[in-house]
Amino acid sequence: MTAMTIGLKGAYYIFWREIKRFTGQKMRILMSVVQPVIWLVLMGSMMARLTDNPVTAEMIGVDNYLAFMVPGVMMMSSLYTGVFGGISIIWDRRMGFLIKLLSAPIPRYSIALGKISALVLQTMFQVSVIAILAAAMGITFATGLPGILVTLLICGLFAAIMSCISLFLSASIRTPETLFSVINFLTLPLVFSSSALFPTAVMPDWIRAIARFNPISYAVIPVRDLVISGWEWGTLATGIWLLLLMFLILFVLVYYRFEKGSLL
Amino acid sequence: MKDSRKMIEVDNLSVIYPGGIKALDGVSFSVPEQEIFGLLGPNGAGKTTLIMVLTTLLAPTGGLARVNGVDVIKDKNRVRMNLGYVSQELAIDDELTGLDNLRLQAGLYHMDHAIRHKRIDEVLELVGLMERARDRVDTYSGGMRKRLDIACGLIHRPEILFLDEPTLGLDIQTRHEIWHYIKRLREEVKMTILLTTHYMDEADSLCRRVAIIDRGSLKAIDTPESLKKQMGGGLIVFQFDQSARPETIDQAMIRLKNQDFVREITQKDDEYLLLTDNSEESLPLFFEALDGLRLNLKKVTLKMPSLDDVFLYHTGRQLREESVSREEMDRVRSSMRRLRKTR
Repeated sequence: MTAMTIGLKGAYYIFWREIKRFTGQKMRILMSVVQPVIWLVLMGSMMARLTDNPVTAEMIGVDNYLAFMVPGVMMMSSLYTGVFGGISIIWDRRMGFLIKLLSAPIPRYSIALGKISALVLQTMFQVSVIAILAAAMGITFATGLPGILVTLLICGLFAAIMSCISLFLSASIRTPETLFSVINFLTLPLVFSSSALFPTAVMPDWIRAIARFNPISYAVIPVRDLVISGWEWGTLATGIWLLLLMFLILFVLVYYRFEKGSLL
Repeated sequence: MKDSRKMIEVDNLSVIYPGGIKALDGVSFSVPEQEIFGLLGPNGAGKTTLIMVLTTLLAPTGGLARVNGVDVIKDKNRVRMNLGYVSQELAIDDELTGLDNLRLQAGLYHMDHAIRHKRIDEVLELVGLMERARDRVDTYSGGMRKRLDIACGLIHRPEILFLDEPTLGLDIQTRHEIWHYIKRLREEVKMTILLTTHYMDEADSLCRRVAIIDRGSLKAIDTPESLKKQMGGGLIVFQFDQSARPETIDQAMIRLKNQDFVREITQKDDEYLLLTDNSEESLPLFFEALDGLRLNLKKVTLKMPSLDDVFLYHTGRQLREESVSREEMDRVRSSMRRLRKTR
C-alpha cells in the first residue's frame, strides 16, 4: 500500500466510527432536525411579518423573508455542525481514545480527514432535512433538484472549512468550555456581519463592508440565488472557488498541525 | 534465554522534557521473546514515558530503542504493526458495541475483510466476551471493558503487547480476573508482554522478570525471586515471655549477634526482628543458639520479604503517589469511573 492509500483507509475508519456514533445517538439526530425548525418557524415567521408589508419589503429589498432565510438557516447549521465538530478530539483525548488512534499505524492527518468527512456528511443530512422542511412551508428551489444538490455541495464545503478551524483549535485546547468560548467569540460576529440572516440593505455601511468579505456571505449568496432566482453562474463559480481555496489553505494548516505538533 | 530473539532492546535511553525534567535517564535493558516483563515503579517514575517511546508516541532525546529489531524512530509504522498497546486509560468507545470497537481496530491496522471475522472471533473467545459482543460498551462491567480493551490490542496479532497499568482502579476480584486472562495470553498465544504496574502482587504473580524504575532510572532488574533473595531470605520475628529476665535477654542477644546466619537484629517494642539470609534454614540455628538459656519464647514467626520490601530497599521509600498533572488526573479518574461502573 502506498502512504496515500494508508492515509485514506485510516480516514475511512475514523469516518466510519464517527458516523456509527452519530447514528447511535437518537437525541443528537433529533436535535439536529429540531434546531433548524426553531430557526425557521420562530425567527422566520416573526421576520416574515416585515416582508408582508410592501413598504418595508421594498425598503429591505426582500420579497419573501422565509425564502430569504432558508439558505441562511442552512448555512447556520453547516457552520455550527462544523465549528463544534472539533470537540470530538477533546473528548477522545479525555477518554484516552486519542492515544489509541495515535499509536495505530495510520498517519495523523487521517484522524482530521476522517472527522471532517463525517461532519460534512452530517451537515448534508441536516441541510436535506431543512430543504424538506422548507418545501413543507412552501419554499421550493427555483433550480429544482440539481439546485439542491449544488446546495449540498456548498454547505458541505462550508462545513469542511469550519471543521478545519475547529480541529485546528481543538488540537491545542484541552477543555470543551474553552473551545466553546473561543468559538462563540469567533462565530457570533461572523454570523451577524454576514448576509445569512439579515439583508445587507438593513445594515449600516461599515457592517455591509465587512459582510462583502465575510466567508459566510460567499457561501450563502450562491445558495440564495439557487433558491430564489435560478442559476447565476457568476456568483456560483466565485463562491465555490473561494470556498474551495479557503478549505485547501485551512486543511494544509490542519495537516501540519496534526503531523508536526503534539496532540496529547 | 541467551539464544532467543530480543523483542525489546533499550540502550541508554533518555527523555528530557522541555524545562529540563529528566523523565528517563540512561535506561538500558532488553526483553527476550515470550517473556512477561514488568516495570515496577510509583507514578511519575517514568514507566509511561518509556512505553510512549516504545510505542513511537514520543521521540527520545537520547539513546536507542528497538522493538522486534526495528528502530522506533526510523520506522514508526512497522513498529506499530508489530505491537499492541493497551494504555492506562480505557481506550474504547462506550457508544459503540464491542464488535464495532474491534472492527474499528481491525480497520486501523489494515486487516483484510476475509481474515477480520476470524480474528475478531478469536480475540473475543480469548477474553471471554463472545456473548456480549453485540451489546453497547456502556452496558459492560469494568472488567469486561478492560478485557475488550486488551482484545483490541490483540486483534492484529502483535508479537509484543504493552500493558500500561492493566488493573489500575479495579477492585480485587476484577484484578484477579484480568490476571487470569493475561496468564492465558502467556500460555496460549506465547506473546512477549511488557507491563507496568505499581502493584507489587501484580508484578509478583505475572512477571518472569521485573525492573524497578524510580525517577527515570532502573534501580534493579531480575526475577521477583532473586530480587527478594537479594534482600536476604527473610525475617524471624520473635517475642520473649514476660517471665524472661532482662539479663537473660541481653545474654540471648549477644549469642544471636555472634551467629553467622544473623544479619541484623532490631527491636520494635517487645518484638525482635531478625534479618537473615534464609529464614527457614536459619530457624533451627536460631533455636540452637538459644539452647541452654533459661528463657521462654512467647511466639516466633517467619516473614518472607515481599516485593514491597525490595522496592523500599532500592528506592528508599514506599511506592508513593506523586503529584500528576490535572489532565492526567482527569483521565485517570474518568477511566476509574468507567471501570467501576458495573451492571
